[in-house]
Amino acid sequence: MDILKLLKQQAEQVEVLNLQDEKTTVEYEANQLKTCTVAETKGTAVRVIRKGQLGFAASTGDTVMEKLAANALESASYGDAAPFSFPGSQPAPNVCTFDQTIADMPIARLVEIGKEILDLILPVEPEARCNIALERSIVSASICNDKGLDVSFKNSPLSLSVEINRVEGDDVLILYDQVGTTIWEKDYLEFARRLVEKLIRARTITSIKSGKMPVLFAPSGTLAFGLPLSEGLNGKAVYKGTSPIAAKIGERLFDEKITVMDDGTIDGKFASACYDDEGVPRRRNILVEKGVLKSFIYDLKTAAQSGVESTGNASRGLFNPPSPSLTNFIIEPGETALKDMLAGIDEGILVEDLLGLGQGNIISGAFSNPLALAFKIEKGEIVGRVKDLSIAGNIYELLKNVGAVSKEAHWVYSTFYAPYVLIPEMNVAGRS
Amino acid sequence: MRDRIQEALKRSKADYTEIRIEEKETTRVVFRGKELETANANIDKGGIVRCLIRDKGWGVTTFNNLDDLLTKVDQAYQCAQVGTVPEPIELALVEPVEQITTAEMKRDFRDITLAEKKALAERYNQVLLGHSDKIIDTQSVYSDVFTHLVLANSEGTYIEQEKPSVMVAAFATTRDGDNVQQAYESLADTRGYEYVLDKDELVRKAAQKAVDLLEAKPVKAGQYTVVADQMLAGVFIHEAFGHLSEADFVYENPKAREMMTMGRRFGRDILNVFDDGSIPDQRGTTLYDDEGTPARRNWLIREGDLVGRLHSRQTAAKMGESASGNARAMNYRFAPIVRMTNTAIDNGATSFEDMIKDIELGIYACDAYGGQTQLENFSFSSGYAYMIRNGKIAEMVKDVILSGNLFSTLENIDAIGNDFKWLNTGGGCGKGNQFPLPVGMGSPHIRIQNVVIGGE
Ligand SMILES: [Zn+2]
Repeated sequence: MDILKLLKQQAEQVEVLNLQDEKTTVEYEANQLKTCTVAETKGTAVRVIRKGQLGFAASTGDTVMEKLAANALESASYGDAAPFSFPGSQPAPNVCTFDQTIADMPIARLVEIGKEILDLILPVEPEARCNIALERSIVSASICNDKGLDVSFKNSPLSLSVEINRVEGDDVLILYDQVGTTIWEKDYLEFARRLVEKLIRARTITSIKSGKMPVLFAPSGTLAFGLPLSEGLNGKAVYKGTSPIAAKIGERLFDEKITVMDDGTIDGKFASACYDDEGVPRRRNILVEKGVLKSFIYDLKTAAQSGVESTGNASRGLFNPPSPSLTNFIIEPGETALKDMLAGIDEGILVEDLLGLGQGNIISGAFSNPLALAFKIEKGEIVGRVKDLSIAGNIYELLKNVGAVSKEAHWVYSTFYAPYVLIPEMNVAGRS
Repeated sequence: MRDRIQEALKRSKADYTEIRIEEKETTRVVFRGKELETANANIDKGGIVRCLIRDKGWGVTTFNNLDDLLTKVDQAYQCAQVGTVPEPIELALVEPVEQITTAEMKRDFRDITLAEKKALAERYNQVLLGHSDKIIDTQSVYSDVFTHLVLANSEGTYIEQEKPSVMVAAFATTRDGDNVQQAYESLADTRGYEYVLDKDELVRKAAQKAVDLLEAKPVKAGQYTVVADQMLAGVFIHEAFGHLSEADFVYENPKAREMMTMGRRFGRDILNVFDDGSIPDQRGTTLYDDEGTPARRNWLIREGDLVGRLHSRQTAAKMGESASGNARAMNYRFAPIVRMTNTAIDNGATSFEDMIKDIELGIYACDAYGGQTQLENFSFSSGYAYMIRNGKIAEMVKDVILSGNLFSTLENIDAIGNDFKWLNTGGGCGKGNQFPLPVGMGSPHIRIQNVVIGGE
């Protein structure tokens, strides 16, 4: 029997999520094509509200629907009061997340793309060991509820990731990048060319005297700001009072060069969709505009608790109830050309990757990290890789005074879009 | 089911075929703040087939529908055809085993009602909330997992195991103006429900730490002599060193192999490190790994010298060594890769008092709040820490982040405590996209000279 019907007889509100996923992965290990995997997932998750109390259950495999329904009802009998209702159908933006070219892509084509990536890297750096994963999925999901909501999505995510490992004596260089899209992109090797550029640049090792200096954060380096900010902007942390910016809507947080957005409606991006994972339309949320805090992100529950509307940011896995989560997170590009930013630096560093991001008490905005990959900038030129440096600070202090934000920007790890950001003066510590 | 598995294995055209079927029932209760956030039970059931064609590669299928194993084996075989390895893949020899083990729990958590589990998590949450009015947010977690696992391969191995696991965790967040602090305690066990009862003390410790941290000053950046408690030392040896001992890092990388050459000096004579999946009832204990290799003790560092590493059957064969029982998969969605089990710094001879008595200015760093390593470089946050002044533990400090180079840091360990302890925390290890895998960690207190502590 249809589980929605079955549960509707026993609960006031019901929501059923069905998920089906078929993922094909081709893996190169140390430059060799070694493993090919086909993974199928099929499962169902249900939420019920009975006597005003919320319950959840999920299962995969051949679990009988009666057992799943019983688990959900038992969960509801101990659940807390649900402060919200499941939504009815609402008009949603038209967001493209499916491409037949990707869906039809044969394993042989994935194998070939892997070879193309190797052909870019190995001629330049024959000693490099590359682990490459090429992953193509076809995801179908549907959400229906007692209000008559019945939406289904189809996604065709394609993800290419490369880890380059080069050991020379005790010097270990690791570079990693990943791109993801749901629409076939003509220039799918752009990220790999960027990696090769870094690899060449990293060959020269130089040194720099520690102390105060200008620090230029590359798009991947701006994750140092992005991660604490993404926690602080989360409606759950705001409701719980753990976000340091909880009560600061309308206040100036940062330099006016900083604008931050969450946009789940961009065609082809990993976190894009017409609807969020509760069936609320996805949208574009301006979070920080010219330095001023404008909004947080919410799902149905945290929105109801906070007395606002869901911002379409519910996200969930099969085995977890929804919670608010950023979709595509964007730091808006600025006005300055990267070459002009570089030209203005007499001596400083370019930060590409930090080690240990996201650890510690990150919601406070504080960070303190060794630099995994950084370059020295001397008289406007990038002159070589610098090792054994670390930086520390608090983003809510640092971003109050931003030197410049570049016109150039790119996607980092599929869902984060950022420009180069210059902090005019920061302490850079050496190892001894 | 056993017949169907063995039939599918027999019909496989691959050089080696392996089938793993897993059924996992999970109960989870989470209180956050004053609210119940989760109280539910989930069922996850699925399988994986792995086929090896020696001169091509591996083919893998994972699935939830267990009805048609023959098709899945065939599909995995087709996938394996895609590979193009330059030389044949060999697997180290492992005696086939046939064994069926059942779990013995004193109080089986599957017999406890959800109501009772909820009441337990609620009680711990009350302990957190009631501890201080500075506590603005809490999380009290109860979870249990019962896994039934079948592993069979084309060499005749057939193993059925039951793996119970039960866990409680307490998080406290305190706030004073803009100052927000967090602390955490957890406890996990494989023996039964009774092991997570009466843990009010542990929960209170998390609450008190979060309160104390509000008063703590940020540590002044610099180089210090650091004494690490068992938890931080255990996490350090796992993260900073253990992952380098995993043979998949070196087996196809001559340069990395050079860096991890057997006999290389890694520390002083006092330093001994091992990994052991056969220790009863620890979090990383696996009587057989996910390739059917029995667990054993693997010494990694003995008297300061590198003496061993951790293997899957494939890495072992490639390096001419024996399989060590370290091929592990997080669940049926993943093929096994080289992982640690229970990793530890062996007990030493120095008492804690002797360790700190000559330190004029140092740091006593406790607990690990997270960490990352990139081969020889590491960075760890300690959960909380104290200054050591004139041989005595002094005021609490916060934001203590240790970073450095593995080789020089191990060399700088100049005292090892006589107070060895296994840590029964609920966390897990991440590698590739397999996270969290239950692992055990253990250590006595250790003292490290010249550690760089970050900060502004
Ligand atoms: Zn680990």
